[in-house]
Amino acid sequence: MSMVRIGVRNLWRSKLRLVLVAALIGTPFFLLLVMESIGDAVQRQTDVLKESVNNTLQLRARGSMGHVNMVGNEDILPQDALAKVKSVDHVAKAEPYLLAMTPTEGHNFAMVVGVDPDDTRRLESHGEAGNPKIIAGRDLTEADRGKRVAIIGQGFAKWAGLKPQDIGQATLTLDFKRTHPVIFALDRPPVTLTIVGIYASGYVFGDMQLFMPLDTFREVYGVREGISWLYVRADSAEHLPAVEKELRATLGNVADIISPTTVAEFQTTATRAVQRLASSGIALAAALMVIVIFFVMLLVVRERAWEIGTFKALGASNSGIVIGFLTEAVLMCAIGALTGALLFALGGGPLAQLIFGLGITPFLPAHYNTLASTLALTPRFGPATLGILIMACLFAAIAGSAWSIRQIIRLSPMEAIRHE
Amino acid sequence: MNKTDTSDRGTLLTRPRNHARAVGRESLPAGVSAKDCRPTTTHYLAVPSVIALRDVSKIYQRGAQVVKALDGINLTVPERGMVALVGASGSGKSSLLHVIGAMDRPTAGEVIVAGQSLSARSEASLTSFRRQTVGFVFQSFNLIPNLDALENVMLPMEFNGVARDARRRRAKELLSRVGLAQRLNHKPRELSGGEQQRVAIARALANDPPLILADEPTGNLDSKTGQMIYELLKEIATERTVIVVTHAEPLAQLADRIVYIKDGRLTSHDESAAPHDPPLNQERSKPYV
Repeated sequence: MSMVRIGVRNLWRSKLRLVLVAALIGTPFFLLLVMESIGDAVQRQTDVLKESVNNTLQLRARGSMGHVNMVGNEDILPQDALAKVKSVDHVAKAEPYLLAMTPTEGHNFAMVVGVDPDDTRRLESHGEAGNPKIIAGRDLTEADRGKRVAIIGQGFAKWAGLKPQDIGQATLTLDFKRTHPVIFALDRPPVTLTIVGIYASGYVFGDMQLFMPLDTFREVYGVREGISWLYVRADSAEHLPAVEKELRATLGNVADIISPTTVAEFQTTATRAVQRLASSGIALAAALMVIVIFFVMLLVVRERAWEIGTFKALGASNSGIVIGFLTEAVLMCAIGALTGALLFALGGGPLAQLIFGLGITPFLPAHYNTLASTLALTPRFGPATLGILIMACLFAAIAGSAWSIRQIIRLSPMEAIRHE
Repeated sequence: MNKTDTSDRGTLLTRPRNHARAVGRESLPAGVSAKDCRPTTTHYLAVPSVIALRDVSKIYQRGAQVVKALDGINLTVPERGMVALVGASGSGKSSLLHVIGAMDRPTAGEVIVAGQSLSARSEASLTSFRRQTVGFVFQSFNLIPNLDALENVMLPMEFNGVARDARRRRAKELLSRVGLAQRLNHKPRELSGGEQQRVAIARALANDPPLILADEPTGNLDSKTGQMIYELLKEIATERTVIVVTHAEPLAQLADRIVYIKDGRLTSHDESAAPHDPPLNQERSKPYV
C-alpha cells in the first residue's frame, strides 16, 4: 500500500465531497476551455483575415512616380535597394517592377510594366485587389524571360485591334518616339512584342496595361539597372510596421514607402486585445482552480491532521506523506478537468458564444461588434487542449497544495495524540 | 484464537534477539557510559536497560504561562517487561511517553533509547528511529480508516522498506496471533473497539521494535476488553519493553513495575528511593531478575 495508492483511496472517502469538489474545480476548468476556444477561434479568424489584409508596402524613388519616360517623374530606385530590402527581417517577398508609359490616342496613354514572370501582376492604383485574370491565351512564364513577349489588358488590346482569337500571331509595336504631355520620347528603335495573352481586370485603367518580362523591359527601354516600384510583402500584418520602420532606416531618403500600416495596426491591435482578454480569462480560471484546491487541501489536512501525525509516529517520511496528499490533489484536479471538459463538450459552444458576447465584445472596438455572432466557437479537443488540461491540473494541484504541504511537513507526530 | 495460533504466539509476539547489544558504548553521548544506562539498584544489575533518561525536562509556553510538563526526570527502564506510568490527568505521563518515543523533544536533559541518544537528532533521524525502535499504541487506536486491518498492519513495514510479500505474510501472522485472522479485510469501522486495539497492537509489533509505548490503550474500552488488551500487552512484554500510560490503578497493578508521576516529577510510595531510580513495584519486579 504505497502512499500514492493511499492518496488514490483517500479521494473516495467522501463521495459527496468529491462531487462538490468536481463541480468547484470543473467550473474553472470549463471557463479555461471556453477561454481557450475563444482565443483559438479568434486566432483562426485572424489567420483568415491576414490572408486578405494587404501586407504589402510599395517603394518608389523619393518624390517620383518612377516611370522611365514620365516627365519629371523618371527617377527610379537604385538596383541595390532590392538586396537591401531582402535583408530586412520579416520580409517575405520583394518584387521589382519597371514601368513606362506609352501614348494611345488624344491625351490618353497606356502603362507598360516589366515584371519577373513569377511575380504578381499588379495594376497601377489598384494594388493586389485588381490583379488581372487571363481571358485569352496564357500568362507569362519563366520560359518567357528575355523574350519579346507580353500579355495585354483587354482595353489596350481593343485599342490595338487585337482580338482573343488572334493570340499567338498577334503583335504590338512600341514606338518610343511618340510623346504625350507627360511622356517624353526615348531615342530607341521601335520594338515589336508578341502578345501571348489578354487579361481582364474589371478596371478601365487596369485594362490599359501591358506586362512583359522584366529583363525584356530592360533591353527594350535601355534601363540596365534600377527599379521603378518595389513591392515588399511582410510575413504578417503584425510585422508590417516593424518592416516599414526597418526599411526606412535601411534605405534612408532614397525611397518613398506607401504602407497600409493603419489597417495592419488596427487588425493587430484588435486581435491582441481579444487574445489578451482570453488569456486573462485563462489566468482567472487557473487562479480559481488554485484557490479551490487551496481550500479543499487545507480542509483535508486539518481534518486528517491526526492521520498525518499517526503516519509520522509510525515512521513515514515527510516526502512519502506529501506524495500521498499531492496524488489526491492531482486526482481531484483531474476529475475537475474531466467534469469541465464534459460540460464544455455538452454546452461549450453556445456558452462560449454567450461569454464572448457579454464578457469580451464590450471591450473591443466597434468594428468587432459582430464578431461574437460570426466567430465559430465550437468545442474542439485536440492534443493542445489535452496538454492545457494536464498542465493546468499539475499547476493547480501543486500551487494549490503548496501551503498544505508546508503544513504537513510542519505537523508534529504529536497530532496523532491530539486525535484522542 | 485456536490452538495452532497459541502454539506460534511466542515466536511472533516476542523478540528472539538480544537487544542488550543495541545499547553500545559508541552510541552514547559524551559523558554517558553504557553503565549509566543501567539501573543502579541490585535488582537491575544483571538486566540491560532500554531507556535511560537523565534530568529530562519539558517546558511549554502557553501565552504568558510557563508549563513544566516534565521536571528533571531520571529514569531507567530495563529490557523486557511491562512498566505502567501512572498519574492523574495533566501529571506529565503522556509527555514523558512522547519524549521517550521521539515524538517530542525535551527542553533539557538526555534521552537514550535502545542505545541511541535522541538529543541532537534531526527530524528525519527521529522518524527513522520511531520506525525501527518504537511501536505506538494509541488510546483512540489511530487506525487509518480507509485501510483494512491487514493494510494497517502492513503500513509501518512499508515505511521500513519491507518487501510486499514479506510484510503481507508478517501482517497476516500478527493479526492471527491477536485473534483477528478472520478480520483481515475489515475496515476499522467494521471492527469493535477491542478488535481495533488489537489491530493497533499488531501494527505496533510490525517492525519488531524493542519498545512498545501505549498511551491509555484501554481508555476507550470497556473493563473486560481493557483487561484483555492488558493481558495481550503483558504477554508482549515478556521479550520486549512495554510502557503503558494509564490512570487506572487496577490495570497498572498488572504491570511488572509502576512509575508514578505527579506535576512532571516521578514520585513514589517509597519516598526514600533514589530520584533517578524510580520505585519498583516489588511484587512485579521478579520477572526482571
